[in-house]
Amino acid sequence: MNKEQSWQQRFWNRFYAIPAVAQWWAKSRAGETAALVEEQHGIPFARLRKPLATARGALITTAGVHLRSEPPFDMANPDGDASYRLIPGAARAEALTITHNYYDHSEADRDLNVVFPLDHFRDLAQRGVIGGVAPRHFGFMGHIDGPLIPALTGESAPDVAARLRADGVDFAFLTPA
Amino acid sequence: MEAAGIPTVAISLARDLTEAVGVPRALFVKWPLGRPLGEAGNAAQQRTVMYHALRLLLTADAPGQLEAPGWRWRREHYQEPDWGMVRG
Repeated sequence: MNKEQSWQQRFWNRFYAIPAVAQWWAKSRAGETAALVEEQHGIPFARLRKPLATARGALITTAGVHLRSEPPFDMANPDGDASYRLIPGAARAEALTITHNYYDHSEADRDLNVVFPLDHFRDLAQRGVIGGVAPRHFGFMGHIDGPLIPALTGESAPDVAARLRADGVDFAFLTPA
Repeated sequence: MEAAGIPTVAISLARDLTEAVGVPRALFVKWPLGRPLGEAGNAAQQRTVMYHALRLLLTADAPGQLEAPGWRWRREHYQEPDWGMVRG
Protein backbone atom coordinates (compact mmCIF):
# COMPACT_ATOMS: atom_id res chain seq x y z
CA MET A 1 0.00 0.00 0.00
CA ASN A 2 2.91 2.30 0.77
CA LYS A 3 5.19 1.50 -2.09
CA GLU A 4 5.83 5.14 -2.97
CA GLN A 5 6.73 6.07 0.58
CA SER A 6 10.45 6.44 1.17
CA TRP A 7 12.11 5.21 4.34
CA GLN A 8 12.78 8.84 5.29
CA GLN A 9 9.08 9.60 5.04
CA ARG A 10 8.23 6.56 7.13
CA PHE A 11 10.84 7.58 9.69
CA TRP A 12 9.47 11.10 10.05
CA ASN A 13 5.89 9.87 10.18
CA ARG A 14 6.84 7.54 13.05
CA PHE A 15 8.69 10.40 14.74
CA TYR A 16 5.70 12.74 14.56
CA ALA A 17 3.45 9.96 15.82
CA ILE A 18 5.10 10.28 19.24
CA PRO A 19 2.43 12.12 21.25
CA ALA A 20 4.79 14.71 22.80
CA VAL A 21 6.36 15.45 19.42
CA ALA A 22 2.93 15.71 17.81
CA GLN A 23 1.76 18.21 20.43
CA TRP A 24 4.94 20.26 20.04
CA TRP A 25 4.37 20.27 16.27
CA ALA A 26 0.73 21.27 16.78
CA LYS A 27 1.79 24.15 18.99
CA SER A 28 4.30 25.48 16.48
CA ARG A 29 1.84 25.10 13.61
CA ALA A 30 -0.92 26.75 15.62
CA GLY A 31 1.14 29.94 15.79
CA GLU A 32 1.26 30.20 12.02
CA THR A 33 -2.24 28.96 11.29
CA ALA A 34 -4.84 31.62 10.68
CA ALA A 35 -8.19 30.75 12.21
CA LEU A 36 -10.45 29.42 9.48
CA VAL A 37 -13.37 31.31 10.93
CA GLU A 38 -13.87 35.03 10.54
CA GLU A 39 -13.31 36.80 13.82
CA GLN A 40 -16.49 38.83 13.76
CA HIS A 41 -18.76 35.88 13.07
CA GLY A 42 -17.08 33.41 15.38
CA ILE A 43 -17.22 29.64 15.08
CA PRO A 44 -20.46 28.53 13.40
CA PHE A 45 -22.52 26.36 15.72
CA ALA A 46 -25.55 24.19 15.01
CA ARG A 47 -27.43 22.00 17.46
CA LEU A 48 -28.78 18.53 16.97
CA ARG A 49 -32.51 19.11 16.69
CA LYS A 50 -33.69 15.58 17.41
CA PRO A 51 -32.81 12.68 19.69
CA LEU A 52 -29.64 10.85 18.63
CA ALA A 53 -31.73 7.68 18.25
CA THR A 54 -33.55 9.28 15.31
CA ALA A 55 -30.60 11.20 13.85
CA ARG A 56 -28.76 10.17 10.70
CA GLY A 57 -24.98 10.45 10.89
CA ALA A 58 -22.23 10.76 8.29
CA LEU A 59 -18.50 10.18 8.66
CA ILE A 60 -15.98 12.66 7.36
CA THR A 61 -12.31 11.77 7.59
CA THR A 62 -9.10 13.50 6.59
CA ALA A 63 -7.14 10.27 6.90
CA GLY A 64 -6.96 9.67 3.13
CA VAL A 65 -9.59 6.91 3.00
CA HIS A 66 -11.14 6.11 -0.39
CA LEU A 67 -12.52 3.25 -2.47
CA ARG A 68 -9.77 1.21 -4.11
CA SER A 69 -11.64 1.63 -7.38
CA GLU A 70 -11.34 5.43 -7.22
CA PRO A 71 -8.31 7.56 -8.13
CA PRO A 72 -5.93 7.94 -5.16
CA PHE A 73 -5.15 11.34 -3.65
CA ASP A 74 -2.34 13.36 -5.23
CA MET A 75 0.90 12.56 -3.43
CA ALA A 76 3.09 14.46 -5.92
CA ASN A 77 1.89 17.99 -5.16
CA PRO A 78 3.69 19.27 -2.03
CA ASP A 79 0.61 21.41 -1.21
CA GLY A 80 -1.47 18.24 -1.03
CA ASP A 81 -4.88 17.51 -2.53
CA ALA A 82 -8.04 19.43 -1.64
CA SER A 83 -10.41 17.06 -3.44
CA TYR A 84 -12.51 14.44 -1.68
CA ARG A 85 -13.89 10.99 -2.39
CA LEU A 86 -17.38 9.66 -1.82
CA ILE A 87 -17.53 6.50 0.27
CA PRO A 88 -20.80 4.55 -0.02
CA GLY A 89 -22.47 3.73 3.29
CA ALA A 90 -22.53 0.06 2.30
CA ALA A 91 -18.80 -0.08 1.43
CA ARG A 92 -16.94 -3.08 2.84
CA ALA A 93 -13.63 -2.47 4.59
CA GLU A 94 -11.89 -4.64 1.96
CA ALA A 95 -13.01 -2.22 -0.75
CA LEU A 96 -11.35 0.73 0.97
CA THR A 97 -7.75 1.86 1.18
CA ILE A 98 -5.67 4.78 2.48
CA THR A 99 -3.59 7.10 0.29
CA HIS A 100 -1.80 9.54 2.56
CA ASN A 101 2.00 9.62 2.85
CA TYR A 102 2.10 12.27 5.56
CA TYR A 103 1.21 10.21 8.61
CA ASP A 104 1.88 6.74 9.95
CA HIS A 105 -1.24 4.73 9.05
CA SER A 106 0.16 1.31 9.90
CA GLU A 107 -2.42 0.90 12.68
CA ALA A 108 -5.29 2.06 10.43
CA ASP A 109 -4.15 -0.31 7.66
CA ARG A 110 -4.74 -3.19 10.06
CA ASP A 111 -8.11 -1.88 11.26
CA LEU A 112 -9.80 0.90 9.32
CA ASN A 113 -12.02 1.70 12.32
CA VAL A 114 -8.99 3.41 13.85
CA VAL A 115 -9.59 6.35 11.47
CA PHE A 116 -12.93 5.55 9.81
CA PRO A 117 -15.34 3.85 12.25
CA LEU A 118 -17.96 2.76 9.72
CA ASP A 119 -18.35 -0.70 11.30
CA HIS A 120 -19.16 0.87 14.68
CA PHE A 121 -21.48 3.38 13.04
CA ARG A 122 -23.48 0.57 11.40
CA ASP A 123 -23.61 -1.31 14.68
CA LEU A 124 -24.82 1.77 16.58
CA ALA A 125 -27.57 2.26 13.98
CA GLN A 126 -28.60 -1.38 14.35
CA ARG A 127 -28.77 -1.00 18.14
CA GLY A 128 -30.86 2.14 17.81
CA VAL A 129 -28.23 4.40 19.41
CA ILE A 130 -28.15 6.55 16.28
CA GLY A 131 -31.06 6.81 13.89
CA GLY A 132 -29.18 5.72 10.81
CA VAL A 133 -26.04 5.75 8.71
CA ALA A 134 -25.81 8.21 5.84
CA PRO A 135 -25.90 6.75 2.31
CA ARG A 136 -22.45 8.20 1.65
CA HIS A 137 -19.44 9.40 3.62
CA PHE A 138 -16.54 11.64 2.72
CA GLY A 139 -12.84 10.98 2.51
CA PHE A 140 -10.33 13.83 2.45
CA MET A 141 -6.55 13.80 2.53
CA GLY A 142 -5.60 16.01 5.45
CA HIS A 143 -2.33 17.36 4.10
CA ILE A 144 -3.52 20.59 2.46
CA ASP A 145 -1.49 23.76 2.30
CA GLY A 146 -0.91 27.03 0.45
CA PRO A 147 -3.11 27.74 -2.57
CA LEU A 148 -5.16 24.59 -1.97
CA ILE A 149 -6.62 25.88 1.31
CA PRO A 150 -9.09 28.18 -0.51
CA ALA A 151 -10.06 25.22 -2.72
CA LEU A 152 -10.82 23.25 0.42
CA THR A 153 -12.79 25.90 2.29
CA GLY A 154 -14.37 27.54 -0.76
CA GLU A 155 -15.22 24.49 -2.88
CA SER A 156 -14.84 21.06 -1.32
CA ALA A 157 -16.28 21.87 2.11
CA PRO A 158 -19.44 23.71 0.90
CA ASP A 159 -19.90 20.94 -1.67
CA VAL A 160 -19.87 18.30 1.06
CA ALA A 161 -22.23 20.38 3.23
CA ALA A 162 -24.71 20.53 0.32
CA ARG A 163 -24.47 16.77 -0.20
CA LEU A 164 -25.00 16.13 3.51
CA ARG A 165 -28.17 18.22 3.41
CA ALA A 166 -29.37 16.44 0.28
CA ASP A 167 -28.84 13.10 2.05
CA GLY A 168 -30.87 14.19 5.07
CA VAL A 169 -27.87 13.97 7.37
CA ASP A 170 -28.45 15.28 10.90
CA PHE A 171 -24.89 15.24 12.22
CA ALA A 172 -21.33 14.61 11.07
CA PHE A 173 -18.58 12.73 12.89
CA LEU A 174 -15.11 14.03 11.97
CA THR A 175 -11.91 12.04 12.26
CA PRO A 176 -8.48 13.47 11.47
CA ALA A 177 -5.26 11.51 11.32
CA MET B 1 -21.25 22.46 7.75
CA GLU B 2 -22.38 24.02 10.99
CA ALA B 3 -23.29 27.14 9.03
CA ALA B 4 -25.45 24.88 6.85
CA GLY B 5 -27.18 23.66 10.02
CA ILE B 6 -25.41 20.33 10.43
CA PRO B 7 -23.79 19.87 13.85
CA THR B 8 -20.39 18.22 13.91
CA VAL B 9 -18.11 16.66 16.47
CA ALA B 10 -14.43 16.10 15.77
CA ILE B 11 -11.73 13.98 17.30
CA SER B 12 -8.57 16.03 17.85
CA LEU B 13 -5.04 14.67 18.02
CA ALA B 14 -3.41 18.10 18.09
CA ARG B 15 -4.86 20.28 20.79
CA ASP B 16 -3.21 23.62 19.96
CA LEU B 17 -3.92 23.27 16.27
CA THR B 18 -7.56 22.41 16.89
CA GLU B 19 -7.93 25.41 19.19
CA ALA B 20 -6.19 27.72 16.69
CA VAL B 21 -8.36 26.61 13.77
CA GLY B 22 -11.52 26.84 15.85
CA VAL B 23 -13.92 23.90 15.73
CA PRO B 24 -17.43 23.72 17.21
CA ARG B 25 -16.81 20.60 19.37
CA ALA B 26 -13.81 18.37 19.74
CA LEU B 27 -12.70 15.44 21.85
CA PHE B 28 -8.94 15.63 22.35
CA VAL B 29 -6.89 12.47 22.76
CA LYS B 30 -3.15 12.77 23.33
CA TRP B 31 -2.27 9.73 21.30
CA PRO B 32 0.10 9.04 18.42
CA LEU B 33 -1.02 10.73 15.21
CA GLY B 34 -2.95 8.47 12.88
CA ARG B 35 -4.91 6.78 15.68
CA PRO B 36 -7.87 9.05 16.49
CA LEU B 37 -10.02 6.15 17.74
CA GLY B 38 -7.21 4.21 19.33
CA GLU B 39 -5.54 0.89 18.73
CA ALA B 40 -6.26 -1.54 15.90
CA GLY B 41 -8.60 -4.28 17.03
CA ASN B 42 -9.51 -2.56 20.32
CA ALA B 43 -13.25 -2.16 19.71
CA ALA B 44 -14.01 -1.17 23.32
CA GLN B 45 -11.50 1.66 23.12
CA GLN B 46 -12.75 2.85 19.73
CA ARG B 47 -16.34 2.77 20.91
CA THR B 48 -15.49 4.60 24.14
CA VAL B 49 -14.03 7.42 22.03
CA MET B 50 -17.20 7.46 19.91
CA TYR B 51 -19.39 7.47 23.00
CA HIS B 52 -17.62 10.51 24.46
CA ALA B 53 -17.68 12.32 21.12
CA LEU B 54 -21.39 11.66 20.61
CA ARG B 55 -22.11 12.77 24.18
CA LEU B 56 -20.24 16.00 23.46
CA LEU B 57 -22.36 16.44 20.34
CA LEU B 58 -25.45 16.34 22.56
CA THR B 59 -24.21 18.36 25.53
CA ALA B 60 -21.99 21.14 24.14
CA ASP B 61 -23.83 24.43 24.45
CA ALA B 62 -21.24 26.80 22.97
CA PRO B 63 -18.78 26.60 20.07
CA GLY B 64 -15.12 25.88 20.68
CA GLN B 65 -15.73 23.26 23.34
CA LEU B 66 -12.80 20.86 23.67
CA GLU B 67 -13.09 17.91 26.02
CA ALA B 68 -9.95 16.07 27.11
CA PRO B 69 -10.64 12.79 28.93
CA GLY B 70 -6.89 12.34 29.47
CA TRP B 71 -6.66 8.70 28.43
CA ARG B 72 -3.09 7.42 28.30
CA TRP B 73 -1.95 5.52 25.22
CA ARG B 74 -2.06 1.76 25.82
CA ARG B 75 -2.35 2.26 29.58
CA GLU B 76 -6.11 2.22 30.00
CA HIS B 77 -8.66 -0.53 30.21
CA TYR B 78 -11.82 0.14 28.24
CA GLN B 79 -15.26 -1.36 28.51
CA GLU B 80 -18.24 -1.28 26.19
CA PRO B 81 -19.97 2.07 26.87
CA ASP B 82 -23.48 2.32 28.26
CA TRP B 83 -25.13 3.62 25.09
CA GLY B 84 -28.44 4.20 26.84
CA MET B 85 -26.94 7.43 28.21
CA VAL B 86 -26.70 9.07 24.77
CA ARG B 87 -29.57 7.41 22.90
CA GLY B 88 -31.99 10.11 24.08
